[in-house]
Amino acid sequence: MDGLKRVIRTPLGVAALTMLVVVLGLAILAPWLLGAKAATIDTNNLLALPSSAHWVGTDSLGRDLLARTLVATRLSVVLALSATLVSVTLGLILGSAPALLGHRLGRLVTAIVNILVAFPGLLLCLFFAVIFGVGQVGAVFAIGLAGAPTFARLCHTLVAGVEERDYVAAARIAGGSRASVLVRHILPNIAEPMVVQATIGAGSCLLTFSGLSFLGLGVQQPAFDWGRLMNEGLNRIYLNPLAALAPGLFVIMAGLAFNLTGEAIARIFNVETSGSWLASGVVPSQPGVTASAHGIARSDKTVLSVNNLTVDFPGVTPVRGLSFDLHQGEALGIVGESGAGKTLTGLAIAQLIEPPGVVGGDVVFLGETLRSDGGEEQRKLLGTSMALVFQDPLSSFNPVRRVGEQLAEVSRVHQGMTRKVAWKRAVDRLRAVRISDPERRAEQHPHEFSGGMRQRAMIGMGLMASPTLLIADEPTTALDVTVQKQVLDLLDSIRTSEQVALILISHDLTLVGERCERIIVMYAGRVVEDLSADALPVAQHPYTRLLMEAVPTLATDLDQPLAVIPGAQPEPSIEITGCAFAPRCPLADDICRTSSPTLAPVASASGRTRNKRGLDITVQTTRMLLRLNLGGKSTPVHTGRVACWHANEPLPETSQLDDTSPSLPASTESTHDVDETVVTP
Amino acid sequence: MSRLTFENVTVRFGALTAVNDVSLDVPDGMVVGLVGESGSGKTTLARAGVGLTPMQVGRVLLDGVPIPKRGSAGRVQMVFQDPYSSLDPRMRVGDAIAEALPTPIARADRDDHIAHLLDLVNLNPAIGLDYPARLSGGQRQRVAIARALAAQPAVLIADEITSALDVSIQGSILNLIRRLQTELGLTMLFVSHNLAVVRYVAQRMAVMRDGIIVEEGPTAEILEHPHDPYTKELLAAIPGSHLPPKT
Repeated sequence: MDGLKRVIRTPLGVAALTMLVVVLGLAILAPWLLGAKAATIDTNNLLALPSSAHWVGTDSLGRDLLARTLVATRLSVVLALSATLVSVTLGLILGSAPALLGHRLGRLVTAIVNILVAFPGLLLCLFFAVIFGVGQVGAVFAIGLAGAPTFARLCHTLVAGVEERDYVAAARIAGGSRASVLVRHILPNIAEPMVVQATIGAGSCLLTFSGLSFLGLGVQQPAFDWGRLMNEGLNRIYLNPLAALAPGLFVIMAGLAFNLTGEAIARIFNVETSGSWLASGVVPSQPGVTASAHGIARSDKTVLSVNNLTVDFPGVTPVRGLSFDLHQGEALGIVGESGAGKTLTGLAIAQLIEPPGVVGGDVVFLGETLRSDGGEEQRKLLGTSMALVFQDPLSSFNPVRRVGEQLAEVSRVHQGMTRKVAWKRAVDRLRAVRISDPERRAEQHPHEFSGGMRQRAMIGMGLMASPTLLIADEPTTALDVTVQKQVLDLLDSIRTSEQVALILISHDLTLVGERCERIIVMYAGRVVEDLSADALPVAQHPYTRLLMEAVPTLATDLDQPLAVIPGAQPEPSIEITGCAFAPRCPLADDICRTSSPTLAPVASASGRTRNKRGLDITVQTTRMLLRLNLGGKSTPVHTGRVACWHANEPLPETSQLDDTSPSLPASTESTHDVDETVVTP
Repeated sequence: MSRLTFENVTVRFGALTAVNDVSLDVPDGMVVGLVGESGSGKTTLARAGVGLTPMQVGRVLLDGVPIPKRGSAGRVQMVFQDPYSSLDPRMRVGDAIAEALPTPIARADRDDHIAHLLDLVNLNPAIGLDYPARLSGGQRQRVAIARALAAQPAVLIADEITSALDVSIQGSILNLIRRLQTELGLTMLFVSHNLAVVRYVAQRMAVMRDGIIVEEGPTAEILEHPHDPYTKELLAAIPGSHLPPKT
């Protein structure tokens, strides 16, 4: 009943549920309490107008109309629910039939359902009402059957969605029959939206039923529902308008009660399915912003200076105190696991964090301090000198507009170019990102481009003028290795030929190490190490070193198990005392758990701890050197910063870090907060 | 013995030929890596191997015998790429694993069995009572492997099982695959786009492109002396395979 609690927490939910409780309460209680009164014939009071004795007046037999309206709740609701039940049952059968019957028969059923959906519901309803004859039962089936196609369509869509999930495939491989897969895996997973739809459906059934009764096709005398009462009251609407309006008001209230309850539940499910604020709250407002030549002519070579950057969301701080400088033409890599705060860092620099997010600290771009409420001038500076490239190039382009147009628009808006000049520039930029036959390609729509080509076009959009800074957030994650290489080569060549500074955000340490000069390693929103790419083999933070060991390369020792970082990155909402990495770190001790290390310059290259376990370092370093094909060169020097109490201390041997011992005492690890397995220190 | 053989398999989706006359042998007790870019047909071939995708031409043999369309439940098992899609959110982990057990068994035995399987993939057996929502990606992937093993398969097909995982987790899954292979002598078709990963787990490998296998042989040999130009291109594209001059 967790869901119920959350329904109650919203104002809409409270209102809807209150109405629903009133309606259902009336349906249950009214006939007991007022049944007699509603049936009492009073010949002295025929067709009385509203009075203190009869608030809504009386009917042609002198029966109290308010009592009758209240008593009618039960029949109205019961009939509406019965019709809904018919709709839902039929809908479920028709909708899940394709999953049971297999491909060919399934398509036939789907086609029939699709045709039925196209008929107006009321038409179907009247048609069935004629077939089943006038009366309650006939009307229930008429309305139920008329509503079934809609439910069938919904059910079919939902079933088809669940059917594509791998667990359904797994159940089939395991030998489950179609029926058992349907009952065990598919139906439970479509229950929630079906319940919502049924609740809303009940509301519309109630309206339709009242309509039918009002037309005289539904409930017949002596039974009465709201529609029937409205029908009887209509004759005297000029004399006693309340006689028709009172049941009408009840119809509206009951209809709203069902509909709003459905809406309230749906809203809660939607909140869950659409993801957290991280996914929904920070949608960039200007994908692929761009560039001008004016920005570069500054003597100051520092393009970007970030000081103590933080990103706050209510209750969460996903980025904590990031500082770095970036020079013209320099490439900086930001590395970390998903959830480390890399993407938010990129968005924060571009001032694209949207409320309720708050950016703290200073971002100085080309000498201007950027502010989240920056005016027109800042917008222009960002629009012309900073470019962003996102992971998914398809969603960054408008699907219905030509690629060339979309590129040209940037220059038309930000640089005031004419349509013709901007188009020329777009074609030129497409050529610059090595898209063959750019004149023809510019005329095409995004879907006619392959993934790699779209990403290149996206970069081309970023280059419409000449940006000073290019922020690329996982630009190649969605691409194949060979295409990935092309895109990264392109970024390299742009950087060198146009002196563009680059921030490359990626989860892949090897890739970043190869393409960037400097690397910032992020963990749980913090910078744990800041080092030059050359210094990767002598990285000092255990996290950086384990990350390098954990990823197999073509030089990985096949006889050794891969290094494992047990556990998972802490959620940004959790307050951490001490080092954020401590729970997963093989070197962690009491200091690490109580006191947070600051990001400090690495002592000195010669200060490497040649302690009694010094040999380990050498072995490890050699292995890393081999991995990076650096063998033969002089030992790289770490001149960056690191945040660790045990920087550069030797890690336990890889074999000890591995999870090969299957029998762990169950009591030592909690099932939920420790992922994977425990390190044997 | 358990040996999986694809014999002249062709799979078409409308006008598109996803797999074109592919023959591939997965010898007993061996891990065969299948690499190629997305769209090369490797996942389609894997799915055809477990009967999830119908073949237009060709057949899949288990120990020389064609796998019947029905009644072969569980002899060839599959682990999927996306750990967030491969477990039923409405089913407890233990029940999901139990469902794959080849024959229904008594409750007490069943629980022992599940505990053993969870232990085998380095998970706390208590996790069996949880719903997948409480599990991390790495844990889910382990459960998926345990479920596949529950069916006591002759052959396991792993389709990009580390691609959706964070790098820090990927290593532990690869270690697990290697350990299971050594301990249980599993026969496995390991599909991946990552050559370094395939190199780490597979003794033999096949390179697929545009629906056909362009190169096949012992992993070490192919990586050292690739013949096909496409294999060479793949090798050159791996990050870390070279360091460009820094500016």
